[in-house]
Amino acid sequence: MKALVTGAAGFLGRHVVSALLERGVAVRAMVRPAARIEGLGWPPSVEVVRADLRSSPDLHRAFDGVEVLVHLAAAVSGGEDAQFAATVVGTERLLEAMARTDCRRVVLASSFSVYDWSAIEGTLDEDSPLEPVADLYARDGYSIAKSWQERVVRRACATHGWELTVLRPGFIWGRDHAYLAALGVQISRLHLVIGPLSRLPMTHVENCADLFALAAVDPRARGQTFNVVDGEGERIWSFLGDYLRGKGERGIRIPVPYQLVHRAVQLAFSTVFRRNLKLPQILIPVRFESRLKPLRYTHRRAREVLGWSPPLAFEECLRRTFEPAGPARAVA
Amino acid sequence: MRAALIGAGQIARQHLSCLQSIPEVEVAAIADLAPSVAEAAAERHRISRWYTDHRTMLAEVRPDVVHVTTPPGSHLRLALDALEAGAHVVVEKPATTTLAELEQLARRAEQAGRALVEDYNYLFNRGPQQILRRIETGELGSVVHVEVSICLDILGPTGFADPNVPHPALGLRGGAIADFLPHLASLAHLFVGRHRSVRTLWTKRSATVLPSDEFRALVEGERGTASLSFSGSSQPDGFWLRVYGTRMLATANLFETRVTFDGLRPGPKPLRPFVNGLVEGKDVARAAVGTLLRKFTGGPGSYEGLFELLTGVYRALRNGSELPVTLGQVLEVNRMVEALKPVDEAPGVQPLRIAAGRDGGRS
Repeated sequence: MKALVTGAAGFLGRHVVSALLERGVAVRAMVRPAARIEGLGWPPSVEVVRADLRSSPDLHRAFDGVEVLVHLAAAVSGGEDAQFAATVVGTERLLEAMARTDCRRVVLASSFSVYDWSAIEGTLDEDSPLEPVADLYARDGYSIAKSWQERVVRRACATHGWELTVLRPGFIWGRDHAYLAALGVQISRLHLVIGPLSRLPMTHVENCADLFALAAVDPRARGQTFNVVDGEGERIWSFLGDYLRGKGERGIRIPVPYQLVHRAVQLAFSTVFRRNLKLPQILIPVRFESRLKPLRYTHRRAREVLGWSPPLAFEECLRRTFEPAGPARAVA
Repeated sequence: MRAALIGAGQIARQHLSCLQSIPEVEVAAIADLAPSVAEAAAERHRISRWYTDHRTMLAEVRPDVVHVTTPPGSHLRLALDALEAGAHVVVEKPATTTLAELEQLARRAEQAGRALVEDYNYLFNRGPQQILRRIETGELGSVVHVEVSICLDILGPTGFADPNVPHPALGLRGGAIADFLPHLASLAHLFVGRHRSVRTLWTKRSATVLPSDEFRALVEGERGTASLSFSGSSQPDGFWLRVYGTRMLATANLFETRVTFDGLRPGPKPLRPFVNGLVEGKDVARAAVGTLLRKFTGGPGSYEGLFELLTGVYRALRNGSELPVTLGQVLEVNRMVEALKPVDEAPGVQPLRIAAGRDGGRS
């Protein structure tokens, strides 16, 4: 079995390549023309295709002999329109190319950001409502692009009769990616922790990659949507403490109640700020909620359908994230 | 009046925000080559029809005005198609990639009896407009010299200097900086008129894919001189306009709301620097608060001039009065733009090249 992995040189992608190889799947890794892959330690069996989804011609050639597309490529920085072009238009072009090939199976990396955080109470799971059109364009560029990306992929799969698995990870963390947006507001050494006892929807990058690889090979994953979290999640207060210890930083944590800040943000937004969407993210209620709303998270469906549980325990994830880098671990 | 847009990217969103604030304008349709981009723009701005083929849109919608908001290499073809369909055309800067194309487009607009407006939005920001008023009242005296200087970080990996996909502006002679020449030239033209001669310097400081990232020019205009510059490395970002008059120096940052005037005020001469300093300090503080409030309370921000320009364009089209940007002005600005570009066919391959010409000689 061969998989085409887009975004393969990205933070998640490099671990998904590794996890697929461990499951005996041959990998064709699509990376951007300027991506640096020397330090990734890929074995020679990994075929590297250099392409940019926004512009490269002949994308269909990358599907030669491929049974499953593992589509991870998405922009995580840049302006709203640049993110839309890279994430959504790139996906559109990729799927147009795929339609000319024999590949009929897609595993998509979506995101927790597609959910309607304002409406959800209690537990966020795969049946929770998605952000409705009325509020979508008040969200940040990343959320707009990821929502549209999932929409475009679902439509293409319905049109062509392809088998789709959608994985929606929460915050993916790991070495050099451990500071999460939900950790609050940092002002120099001060960290305002908004809702210190809230749980973080987090998945360590190696655990997350393991589920992607499993979803690519396991027939039971077809037609399913899975949220990807390692468990109920750490509390913001304690994880920020782990982060500061791990980084050797001497930050000062100041707890602030979520409800208090939330009310203040809502009030200011509808009065003095006149519903201005150019404000800093945290002052726009729907963006504030999508980052900080205290909910409960679970990977129950992945466990029930695929028998999946995260291979690495939290302590091991911490160790792999913060302990001094040793010699580069071979990824396969 | 019924408007339609071709191109649904970042600048199109600015046009749409403006158009939706003008009561008598209905945005009837939008087109983009990428279906998701067209559909998302229509959904977001509640536009009833979207297309991936602009010709189909022009035929089915028959708009009164077409806004061409695509990358510059496609402007000529799209604008010609819009004129052909009987529409007036508002085209983003740079209107075309060469002067010859612009002249072709202008001739076609004249033959069709339709308006052709290039977006010189910054002319209509409050800074230049306040300075124009001081010139009209005689307070500034006559204009001797104008400095226009853009400092903008274009070296990051997700914009003009994207190492993975060449930015469309790199197809222009002069590369990314050529995308800003219409802003520099239109402001110089506003204050000192047509150019008689131009000297330029194109250089490169960064190790990016950009052909050049620094630009300086000295322009001899019919009513004064101008120095123009673009810097990809100077920080912070700013768009500085400085107009030197015989009685007053006016300074504005067009990315913000700052406008200050340093004049020959009455009173003892030794006290003038003191009084000017106090007045300028007060104006800077007021502008700082204004810029902050503008960020918090929303609105067009530094695109305020686009609102003024488009409102003026639609008013003129409705009343048959003179457009805020005339075809003659567009031609003169583009002649200056052409003279400012590097002479090499391959842009900026030779750093520190100096080009000089008389009266836009290549027009």
